[in-house]
Amino acid sequence: MSERFDDSSDETLSRRLAGELTRHTAPARLRVAIVDAAPRPRRPVWLGPLVAAAATAMVLILVVLPVLPRIVPADPMQRYVRAVVSEHSRTLMWGARRGDVLPAALPWLTQETGIGLNQFFVGDERLVLVSAEPVYLERQRGVAIHYRDQDGHMLTYIALPATGLTVPDRERVQAGRWRPALLRDSGFAALVWKQAEVACFLVSDMVSSDDVETFKEYFVRVRSTTDPVPAY
Amino acid sequence: MAPIRPIGSSADVADPEFQRQALTHLDALYNFAMYLSKRPADAEDLVQETYLRAFRFSHRFQPGTHLRAWLFQILRNTFLTFYRVREREAPVAEDGVPEWDAPMFHDAPEDDGTAMDAHTDLERAMRRLPEEFRTVLLLAEVEGLPLEEVARVMACPVGTVKSRIFRAKERLRGLLRDYETK
Repeated sequence: MSERFDDSSDETLSRRLAGELTRHTAPARLRVAIVDAAPRPRRPVWLGPLVAAAATAMVLILVVLPVLPRIVPADPMQRYVRAVVSEHSRTLMWGARRGDVLPAALPWLTQETGIGLNQFFVGDERLVLVSAEPVYLERQRGVAIHYRDQDGHMLTYIALPATGLTVPDRERVQAGRWRPALLRDSGFAALVWKQAEVACFLVSDMVSSDDVETFKEYFVRVRSTTDPVPAY
Repeated sequence: MAPIRPIGSSADVADPEFQRQALTHLDALYNFAMYLSKRPADAEDLVQETYLRAFRFSHRFQPGTHLRAWLFQILRNTFLTFYRVREREAPVAEDGVPEWDAPMFHDAPEDDGTAMDAHTDLERAMRRLPEEFRTVLLLAEVEGLPLEEVARVMACPVGTVKSRIFRAKERLRGLLRDYETK
């Protein structure tokens, strides 16, 4: 096919170039080939070593963690409270190790713990005596007596020989005619007092303001009728 | 056109969005490659190699610049790299364009049965132009690229581009007159 080139101006030539030249369209297979040949995203080269290092660190932590020294509170009172709260939690979850009902087990309990109970709270219309058992907390033998109130709250009374233990004055609250210290740990409340060189603890999960008042009433009942003494 | 987001500098894999946008220029690149190489098979190889290079070096693409011009630049450089080795450099004039009768390294044999057919005198004349002239006309007049972009593709000053366009049109007119007289 031939054409006449009768207009040689720039504009005409530009128009002919833009309009008359055949535009070649890429075959479909070319697009497919390009897409297929395009390099695929690869996993970053640093990901493997990073995961391996993290896994190794995790294993090391799991191995070393049990042998690391535990962080314990420097304050002796805090350590005791943490220990009695742990004992109370254990009782809540798994029950008493040995549920002997006082006073039948009293001689055995005194023999096992070195703490005698001249008298003790055996329960009333609000609190039911559940069990009593020897405990070993903070390297001391002691007595634990468990009660349950009508609402299902568990209370744990624990008496431990603690000659040098001081009840913190700042935490003291008025409960009846006594002023025990009210301490909190791990969501539990503990009333702490000393009685004849015996540290006494009453632990419960009654932590709200209303429950604390009830907790104080329970304390009065226990405190007024329980008399622990070192047996030896 | 939405700005292209380059992938990480150390990666050699283009992100899917970059690939998608680059492929929108496939037909233009293929058309350009056809006028450069003159054979469909060569044009396909050229375009495919262009895209592979573009994907591999996508992190070098500067966002905000003309992606199409960048792809044309890669295609032309690839063409020159692959095809120039076949031929010796022809004597060149001041503007870097071979003289009128010098054999063009990029001119495929006319009698090759696989070469694309020239349907018009204009196409036949375009095929006879030196590569530098053909390229400036294709980019500036056919693809409509700004002169600055054409200069970037051809790695020369804008003034050189203008000069080549002028000379290319002159030579094109001469060829068309020859066909007319025949």
